[in-house]
This record gives sequence, structure tokens and C-alpha cells, in this order.
Amino acid sequence: MKRMTAILAAALVAVANPAFAEPGVGEDTIRIGIFAPLTGSASIFGRAAFGAEAVYNEVNEKGGIHGRKIEVVREDDGCDAARAISAVRKLTAQDDVFLIHGGVCSGTVMAVRDDLERQNVPFVILGAASAGIVKPFKKNLFQPIPNSDVVATQMVDFAMSKPGTAKIALISHTDEWGETNSRVATEHLKKAYGLDISLKLALERSTTDATPQILQLRNAQPDFVLAMLYPAETALLVRDAHKFGMTTPILGNFGVSLEDTRDRVGDMAAMANFYTFYAYEPALSSAEIEPWTKMITKYFPDHRADTFSYEAMGGALAVIEALKQAGPDLTRDKFIAAMESIKDFQSGILNTPITFSADDHAGVNGGAMIAYRDGKPTVLKTWSE
Amino acid sequence: MFAQLVASGLVQGSIYAVIALGMTVLFRSTGVVHFGYGAFFMAGAFAVYVFSQVVGMAFVLAFLAAVAVLVLVGMAFERVLVRPIVHGPHVTVAMMTVAMSYLLTGVARFFWGQEVLRMPPIVDVPPIFVGSIVLTAQDLLIIAGCMALVVAFFLFFARTKLGKLMQAASQVPRGAALVGINVPGFHMAMWGVVAGIAAVAGTLVAPVTMLYPDMGAHLLIKAFAAMTFGGFGNLGGAVLGGLLIGLAEQLAGFYISTALIDIFAYLVIIVVLIVLPNGILGKKEATRV
Repeated sequence: MKRMTAILAAALVAVANPAFAEPGVGEDTIRIGIFAPLTGSASIFGRAAFGAEAVYNEVNEKGGIHGRKIEVVREDDGCDAARAISAVRKLTAQDDVFLIHGGVCSGTVMAVRDDLERQNVPFVILGAASAGIVKPFKKNLFQPIPNSDVVATQMVDFAMSKPGTAKIALISHTDEWGETNSRVATEHLKKAYGLDISLKLALERSTTDATPQILQLRNAQPDFVLAMLYPAETALLVRDAHKFGMTTPILGNFGVSLEDTRDRVGDMAAMANFYTFYAYEPALSSAEIEPWTKMITKYFPDHRADTFSYEAMGGALAVIEALKQAGPDLTRDKFIAAMESIKDFQSGILNTPITFSADDHAGVNGGAMIAYRDGKPTVLKTWSE
Repeated sequence: MFAQLVASGLVQGSIYAVIALGMTVLFRSTGVVHFGYGAFFMAGAFAVYVFSQVVGMAFVLAFLAAVAVLVLVGMAFERVLVRPIVHGPHVTVAMMTVAMSYLLTGVARFFWGQEVLRMPPIVDVPPIFVGSIVLTAQDLLIIAGCMALVVAFFLFFARTKLGKLMQAASQVPRGAALVGINVPGFHMAMWGVVAGIAAVAGTLVAPVTMLYPDMGAHLLIKAFAAMTFGGFGNLGGAVLGGLLIGLAEQLAGFYISTALIDIFAYLVIIVVLIVLPNGILGKKEATRV
């Protein structure tokens, strides 16, 4: 009799409060899993994890969402697909998270996205920018950052916003990332402006010298150089361009930070002709970005905030917004529906609003460039700005 | 244009040559092919960085301290990790050097996993213009450092009794031991010496490549190509191979395709192994029976 009463009581509780049955949702907690490269050569990009976690901590300090505090479980994937699969399995099976806000490397995201789709676990991308992540469309997967298509398009548009631009050169890695970015930029330049890339060059990873590339660029005299390169090779290109007196503007990709490039090049004069994609509203080192930096360092005092630290903060704020909209009886389906209802969401950190719909989960469709002007990082939407 | 490519090729080639040189010295004196040498080179660069940028030592002192530390590390690795297995199959020792590489890289990743650090140039002066050729002071130091090491080791092995003794001990260790030579002691000393060379190479090259835990892996392949091209175990061959690969990369990259630069070292290894198995300066080994 006692056993029967206990079963009935449990069933009544479940019916009265169905949210408790949802994985990762407790009476006073919502568990979110984060995975990113926290160690290894790609860990500079993993800084995005700390920005996202700082947003969640800040929300907790202000009382949480519908009486629940966010509990973050953080895993290191080392930008390695096999480790990412293990990390995500742990997050879903052992830690029982409600949603995953993770993935900085496109390869790791690709490795886990089908598994998460099968489990219907909401998957919000932390920083992986490949446009291929949201193609084909997956109901549970959201990309609240500018993806590679948006970035390549913005780089071309910025170059073409300079009056008289007629010759654009492109230098890229020959891997899938570099080729995809190059293809999007080439197609956009042709379609929107009727121009072809005037010179296409390769610069491989871990190269220590860019003399042949710079000499070819100097000969071709393009108006702009689009650099579809990772941070180290971008710095190498900027450094060697300065060494050989090349003054053609070089446009860097999303994964390249202005500050980091300056530190690697070690010469402000070399940065005079360098611009890089920028996703944020406030400029680096400005008073406007200071509150965001303080939010991160408040919870992670040893963290040296830079461009990548802010990358996932807009996405985290979108997650918070969707959790609020989903209401106290939180389910994964309600959360996904709430994410899809987010329109023109001004995060305050991203310079382009986040918009999702029922058939488009690429949430950020714009951006800007950033460069040093009078020694200060300055955000530029167009060349003449 | 051609002159600039040649100058840049010599600088790049010197980087490959100096790493190939260290590996060749160890191979000639101990018979070990050191697959972990890229990690030693990385460790040398990080040691200079720590002593100069973290501890705050003057550059010359930091450099000397880094060389001393690497010499000790090299000797310790030989004593603890190599000597117990040195009489086993060659592949066992080779795998141990791979393990050393992972160990050192892992330690570096533990401390600097998130960073690609900038190493300030040894001499911070504006680039030097020689006609139409642009060279930095660091470029000149790399070439000069490489040449100095080559000459020093050539003289050591060819002109000194100790150098000749070491080569003899390497070729016939049992015979050397029978006449009272401390062969393990020699080997330990040479592990220390080549680790010291790695510190010198790291110091010269890090301002160009920047500092990160995996910095040695890429250059190790180029160094192997240089050794293969020049003739495995030949000091002059290692240096000549390095310089030729550096030159060929630059010229092929400019006149044919920039996509060729990175695969050139691999092409060299394949072609040389098929066409000229002993390399440019290597001699066919003959054993008198």
C-alpha cells in the first residue's frame, strides 16, 4: 500500500510539474553544456566559452530565469572531433544537460551535430563559423554568429566600397576552410560587381615566410588583398608585406583578431594597412566594450579578454531570451520554438541583430571591419567611414 | 626580384639547415635518428623566452642559460630514456625520440596552450636594403649563425682528435669500449651538445616563426628533407640540402605556384629516395667482410 502511494505521488508530481521530466531542467536549475578547445593550438578561439559562461553567471546573479539558475558544465574538446564526440556524449548522457552551447571548430561541430539532432538536444553554436554547419537545415541547431558566407561577402563589400576598386587579389590556405571562403568571395564579387579575382595565391599553414606571395602581390598591384588565412599566417603576411613596403590594404577573416595580429607582428607601423572582420558593436579597447570585458573578468579574473572572448556573448543572450520566452514549464521543443521566434534581437555586443526563423537558423547576417586609426581600433562598415 | 628570392631562400634554407645540422651531428656521433628534435628546438626557443621575457634576464644571459638548460635536458634524456634501450632495435630508440617530442610539446602546451607568443628580434633595427634586396638583421643573424655552427662542427669532426674519436666510437662502439673509451659518456655528451644546438636554433628562428608548442613539427619535416637531399649523416650535405630546399621553395613559389611551397620538401624526399638514394653528398655505404 505504501509503495502504491509513493508511485501515485510521484506520478502526480510529474503531471503537475512536467518540466521536471525534461533532461537538464530541475526545480531551480537549468543545466547547459559548453564544449570548446580550452587547451591546444586552437584554444585562442576557445575563449568564447568564458564569455558565454560569464553571461550565464550574470543572469544567475540577477535572479536567474523563472526562478531557475543556470548551471554550466564545461568540457575541453581540443578542437578534435573524437574528443568532441566524447565530450558531448558525457554532457548528454552523464551530465544530462538541457541544451548545448558549444563548438568553436567547424570540424567538431560537424562530428556531433547529427547525434544531437537524433536526441533533439538544442545545439547553439559557440563560435564555429562554417556556413556548412546550418546546411542542411537542422531543427535543433542555431548559429548566432556571422558565418563564413557572411564574412566573405562582407570582406568583398568592404573592398568594393572604396571608390575605384577594380582589382582584388585573394590569398588563402588550400584546406577546405580556405577554399570555401575563397569560393564564396569569388562568387559574390562576380555576381554583385561583375569582377573576377585578379590574382589567387596560396599560403599554407605553419609557413614561416611569405616572400614569394608578397612579391607576386607587389607585381600585380591589386587594390585589396582578401586574406582567407588563420591568425598566425595572417600575421606573417602582414609582417612580410610591411617588410617589403607593400601598402595594399589586407583584409583579414573573422577568426583573426586585430589585437592578436598586432601582438604577433609586434610593429604598429605594419598594422597601418590591415583590416579584419569584426562582429561587435563596441570597438576593442573602447569604453563601450569595457562592461563586457568586466563581466568576463568578474568571473574569470585570470582571463585576458580579446576579440574571441566576446564571440559567444550575443548567442548566450539569445539563449537567455529564448529561455524566458519558453516560460516556466520548460521543454526542449518550447525552447526551440522560442529561439525560432527571435527576430531582430539586439544583443548589445554584436553589431548585427540576431534573427532566426522556422526555416533559417543562421542568425547573424552582417558585420563590419575593424582597423587601427590614430592608434585606436575603429569599427568601419564601409571604406569611407 | 630573382635576387630577393635567392636572399629569402638562403634565410629559409639556413633555418632548415641549422635544424638538420643538429640531427646530423647526433646521427654521426651516436647513430640515432632523432625524431623529437623539433620539440628540442621548440624547448630551446621557449627557454630563451622564459629567461628573457618572464624572468627578465638580459638577452645574452638568457641565451646562455637556455643553452645550458637544454644541454642538461639532452644529457638527462640520454641517461634516463635512451641508454636503457640503446642496445635494442633501432626502431625502439626512434620511438623513444618520438615520445620525447610528445613529452616536451605536452609540457609546453600545459603552460602556453592558449598562446602564440611573439619573440622579440635579437637586434631590433629597421630592414636593411642592399640594392633591391630587403633583409632584416634577424635574417642576417640566421645565416651567420648557421654558417658558424657548420664551420665549428666541420672543424670538430674533421680536425680534432675528440671529434674523430666520437665518430669512431659511433661506428664501432664495442671496439671503442674495448680500448677504454667511455662510449656511453660520449653519447651523453653529444645528446647534450645537439640539444644545445637546438637552443641556438630556437633563439635564432623564433623571432621569425613566433613561439608556440607545435612550432618544431613543421620545421622537422623540412630538416629531414634537407638531410635526405644532402646525404644522410653528412654535415655539409645537411646544410647544402637545407639551403637548396629553401631556395627551391622560394623560386618554385614565385615562378610556378605558391601552392608548391609547402609540398616541395615532400617531393624532394620522394625524388631523392628514388633517383639519388644517398643524397647529393652522401656516399654509398660499404661494409668490409
